[in-house]
Amino acid sequence: MEQIMNETMSKYFNPETTASIKVMEGTHAASQAVKLARVKVISAYPITPQTSIVEKLSELCASGEIDAEFIKVESEHSAMASVVGAESAGVRSFTATSSQGLALMHEILHWAAGARLPIVMVNVNRALAPAWNIWVEQTDSLAQRDTGWIQFYCESNQEVLDMVLQAYRLAEQVMLPVMINLDAFFLSHTSEPVALPKQELVDQFLPPYNPKYKMELEGGHAFGGLAMPDSYMELRYKMQKSMEEAERLIPIVAEEYDHIIGRHHGTFLENYRVADADYLLMTSGTISGTSRIVVDSYREKGIKLGMIKVRTFRPFPTKAIREAVKNAKKVGVIDRNISFGQSGIFFSEAKAALYNAEHRPLMNGYVAGLGGRDVTPETISEIVDHLIASEKGQDLIWIGVKK
Amino acid sequence: MSDIMDLKNDQTLMAISTGDMSWNKTGSWRYMRPLYENKIPPCTVGCPAHEKIPQYFALVKEKKYKEAWETILPDNPMPGVTGRVCYHPCENVCNRGEYDETIAIHNMERFVADQNLDNHIPEYLVSKEKREEKVAIIGSGPAGLSAAYQLVRQGFKVTVFESANEAGGMLRIGIPSYRLPREILDKEIDDIKRLGVEIRAGITIGKDLPLSNLQKNFDAVLIAVGAYKSWGMQIPGEELKGIRSGLDYLKQYNLQEQATTGKNVVVVGGGNTAIDTARSALRMGAEKVTIVYRRSRAEMPAVPEEIEDAKKEGVQFVFLANPIAFHGNGSVQEVELIKMELGEPDKSGRRRPNPVKGSEYRIEADQVLLAIGEVPDLEFTEGQFKLLHDRLNLDNGQMTSQKGIFACGDAANGPIGTVVDAIATGHRAATAIGQYLRNGKVALNGKMESGVPFDTINLDYFVNEPRPKEQQHHPETLKENFEEVNLGITIEDALNEANRCFSCGTCTYCDNCLIFCPDVAIHLDPVKHEYIIDYDYCKGCGVCVHECPRNAMAFEEELKWNK
Amino acid sequence: MSQQLIDIPEVELMGKGHVACPGCGSTVAMRFVLKALGEETMAVIPACCWTIVDGPTPSSVLKIPVMHTAFETAASAASGLKHGLDARGEKNTTVMAWAGDGGTFDIGFQAISGAAERNEDIIYFTYDNEAYMNTGVQRSSATPEGAWTTTTPTKTPKNKPKKDIVEALAAHHIPYIATASIAFPEDLIAKVKKAKEIRGMKFIHIISPCPPGWKSLPNDSIRLARLAVETKIFPLYEVEDGWKYHITHESKGTPVKEYLKAQGRFNHLTDADIENIQKTMDRKWKMLKMKEKLSLEEMEVLD
Repeated sequence: MEQIMNETMSKYFNPETTASIKVMEGTHAASQAVKLARVKVISAYPITPQTSIVEKLSELCASGEIDAEFIKVESEHSAMASVVGAESAGVRSFTATSSQGLALMHEILHWAAGARLPIVMVNVNRALAPAWNIWVEQTDSLAQRDTGWIQFYCESNQEVLDMVLQAYRLAEQVMLPVMINLDAFFLSHTSEPVALPKQELVDQFLPPYNPKYKMELEGGHAFGGLAMPDSYMELRYKMQKSMEEAERLIPIVAEEYDHIIGRHHGTFLENYRVADADYLLMTSGTISGTSRIVVDSYREKGIKLGMIKVRTFRPFPTKAIREAVKNAKKVGVIDRNISFGQSGIFFSEAKAALYNAEHRPLMNGYVAGLGGRDVTPETISEIVDHLIASEKGQDLIWIGVKK
Repeated sequence: MSDIMDLKNDQTLMAISTGDMSWNKTGSWRYMRPLYENKIPPCTVGCPAHEKIPQYFALVKEKKYKEAWETILPDNPMPGVTGRVCYHPCENVCNRGEYDETIAIHNMERFVADQNLDNHIPEYLVSKEKREEKVAIIGSGPAGLSAAYQLVRQGFKVTVFESANEAGGMLRIGIPSYRLPREILDKEIDDIKRLGVEIRAGITIGKDLPLSNLQKNFDAVLIAVGAYKSWGMQIPGEELKGIRSGLDYLKQYNLQEQATTGKNVVVVGGGNTAIDTARSALRMGAEKVTIVYRRSRAEMPAVPEEIEDAKKEGVQFVFLANPIAFHGNGSVQEVELIKMELGEPDKSGRRRPNPVKGSEYRIEADQVLLAIGEVPDLEFTEGQFKLLHDRLNLDNGQMTSQKGIFACGDAANGPIGTVVDAIATGHRAATAIGQYLRNGKVALNGKMESGVPFDTINLDYFVNEPRPKEQQHHPETLKENFEEVNLGITIEDALNEANRCFSCGTCTYCDNCLIFCPDVAIHLDPVKHEYIIDYDYCKGCGVCVHECPRNAMAFEEELKWNK
Repeated sequence: MSQQLIDIPEVELMGKGHVACPGCGSTVAMRFVLKALGEETMAVIPACCWTIVDGPTPSSVLKIPVMHTAFETAASAASGLKHGLDARGEKNTTVMAWAGDGGTFDIGFQAISGAAERNEDIIYFTYDNEAYMNTGVQRSSATPEGAWTTTTPTKTPKNKPKKDIVEALAAHHIPYIATASIAFPEDLIAKVKKAKEIRGMKFIHIISPCPPGWKSLPNDSIRLARLAVETKIFPLYEVEDGWKYHITHESKGTPVKEYLKAQGRFNHLTDADIENIQKTMDRKWKMLKMKEKLSLEEMEVLD
């Protein structure tokens, strides 16, 4: 067992690229990434369960460990507006929020993306009120689908740290903002060992940000002014083109990160025992870890079950999903979110992605674990059993609702 | 990662404005058009000589006193004289008077003249083109000198005939030197002479030379003989010794430096001559001088400041009384007065004085000086001309009833009685003569009107400030002391007064129009030194016109300009 | 040979061809402010008339960098920009927020309160035309009592007093607050220059006549800005550190009627209404004078 642990550790935590390994909560992993990314301006407003990011960053700024301006704003709206301001000055900026806070930012999320500002934000996925609920759910970030932000969903604290760094690399290439999402409490407040890469390697991976066009006295340009119907549409076309460029770059950035830092979390999807699977679960966030165990247990029973962990929501990994499901008979999507009047959001997106595909498996949409309700191996087994028994696809199946 | 598309340097990704808005010619929005339009200020209209007052004030502000003087000269060659003795009707119409106190224009005029005592009228004011026609002018008073000066400026040959031994007319004969120092008068007459005016003094037309001689030898003749003849009061006792015309009295002193003066002198009249006579009498040794005037103080035509000064010097006033007889034994001893009361206004607008029956009373006097108005002595004309109220009757072109013979000043009908009116009519006559000699026809400009009523001044740009007080020198003993009483104003006062002037209708380049333009459409051309309105961008809001403190702009319908 | 009544800097950082209405007060205000601040200035402009006035992409009438932002984010975006510039080492650049009354008194109030409390090193200007003019004259909390707007029709004109934004900001104890009028350029420019030299949050409230919204004549804009001051409706003063009051121009006390009668938005007011407004303004002025007196006394004590 100890040997296995050591092997795993050395594979995951490459000693040559690692400065130290520390046990930390997901929020601290995010904060450490901010430090490593040499962020210059931070602006954030505390909200459970993101609060410890704000606290940790305040501490790191106060101690001088981070050389950044920290604007302690009076709301998330101002947090996003002020990072828009800071990023317009051409400096790397950061913010973090959750749930209600993200909803309050909504207007400025559009602004950040439309202004082509490569802001990186960590969002701790939390349910929206009412009723008040501080536990995990993804509806907050998925509701920001059309704002023009690139979105990643993480499964571990290490992934949070690594993805914040990759997010800056990606954002600053395609000039679109990136949102890194992690589950409330299951990641935000759960301690895990996290390898902190060496600063010089991070610097190598992530060069200083200096865009050509920014707020500067020379030239006296104006940004974000009125665009008439004869020019607005082109701006939107270019946002889409940049999203497509992001899709091209995500694997390249991941590869480069692996090359320099020595770690790879997959690209759009993490496929687990997919190649020969008849049945596939599609998951995201921390449900994925639980699902892996369930997959293994069904495999032991001889049932060809596999799992697709979705890591990017925007750009949506249409091609990767088509490829992953091409041999599967049935796909069950587990959504810890809901678009009222439709279904789980990953489900409807995945289903739409497959409509024009050559191979269209049976698809079921499962909504589970809203508002932080546990999704246990038993819950997932119930889903798998239901999926295997299904003869016709169903869009919305509520799991564990007390009736 | 060389295959990464570098979007960081792509300007077209986002909404960036790298250009300005100059392509957007907002002038097309305009339906009203502002423009610069200087208007004639009330003071220029009020001044009979139409001096360009705001213009020379602007130069005073810049301490360009010579240029300021040269701005007055085309209208008046003798600002040193008028700056001292003019009754300044310009000030009566000054818009500033409706706000706080009128501008001390006459003090300013004197100030400017006094700054130029060492300068002479510049040659550029005289036409380079010389003409052969000769003009004779009879009389070298302010009217004759003004006309001579203007004619010389036009290039004519001018000869002035003066019966006295020195030029100046009433300026020399009638006005005491404590009001008009002779060196000032001499200087300004000399300046006119320097331009080529020939003055033949000591020649009396009608006695030494007949008028017909002039008619024969000159292409035009101008009669500017003034008014010296007194009709007297036509009341009993007027033949008594010690009773004479005030003007005669002044003339005697001014030409001979002495004149018999009583101890107890009564001066009759309310004009400037009365005041001059009274104050001169004090200086000549009179112990008591009393001015008797048939109306009240308010109706006195004399300059108010002069009345005040006379009071200060001890002249006593008896208002609402008129002599009806003089009494004495060979010499006058008493003046019999009758009290008057004021009735309905007469033609002059002043209330007519009517005697109060039974109110007769007497006052003592050993000399009586009558300053009740004079008419011209036109004996030399041998009755050739039509007269009106004892003066030469003129047509609209300053011409008498005889072709080629013109008249001006107190000798003719028209505005009379003051130096500046004489200067103004002299100028008019010169213009008329010039036109007559050039093309045989005369067409003078009509009445001048001001385009700047008080309510078009933007008072927001002015603060209340007092008018300066002229410095004065009142000697302890007046006897034999003919030193100048009024000393003018200081440089500081003059500069302040120049700034206090509204400069009605006359741009002072204050930049208000430029400063407040919401469309940045007004510029000052540094070379031409004038404002340029960029009509490509001016939206015609009118802010510039409204914020012009002095109504030096106009606002007109765009349609008028687009025709 | 100029004989200026008003002495102002020559630098011209607002260009020609902007699309503001004829006689727009806010353009004159912008012109003066930029003359005072000079070239080392960046503007943050939220949704307001100036979103349009500045010009459509790719054009901008201002010769300084401009960052357009969402309606309620002038103060927050300006805060961020200032910190971004600081982080970039560009500490001498003045960051100005340029917002209308809606973006300041109403929707942006939280953000400005936040920036004020944090004492952000920005100058926040509100050009106050006393209603949502860009959307076509709807009432704002800066609309004065008695005024017509499209959402307060003449039958039911606004019945709440104008929000006292200066007092609200003074309660934040920021280093510098001033009111200014485009009819007093020297006073305005002096205040802006003073603000530029002060570190921390500065707030400058500029009364900015709007001919279409006030139903006034375009050529009256400067006069109205002057009358607003002289009638005591909009006194010119400064508040330093939240308590040092200083009146910079002694209002003449011109009757408010003269100001109100020149604007169609007040046409419906009765003599009694006007009398009430007069009383209110007289009282407010008196209280302002008292505050000035008290703060002078207190400053003497401190000395």
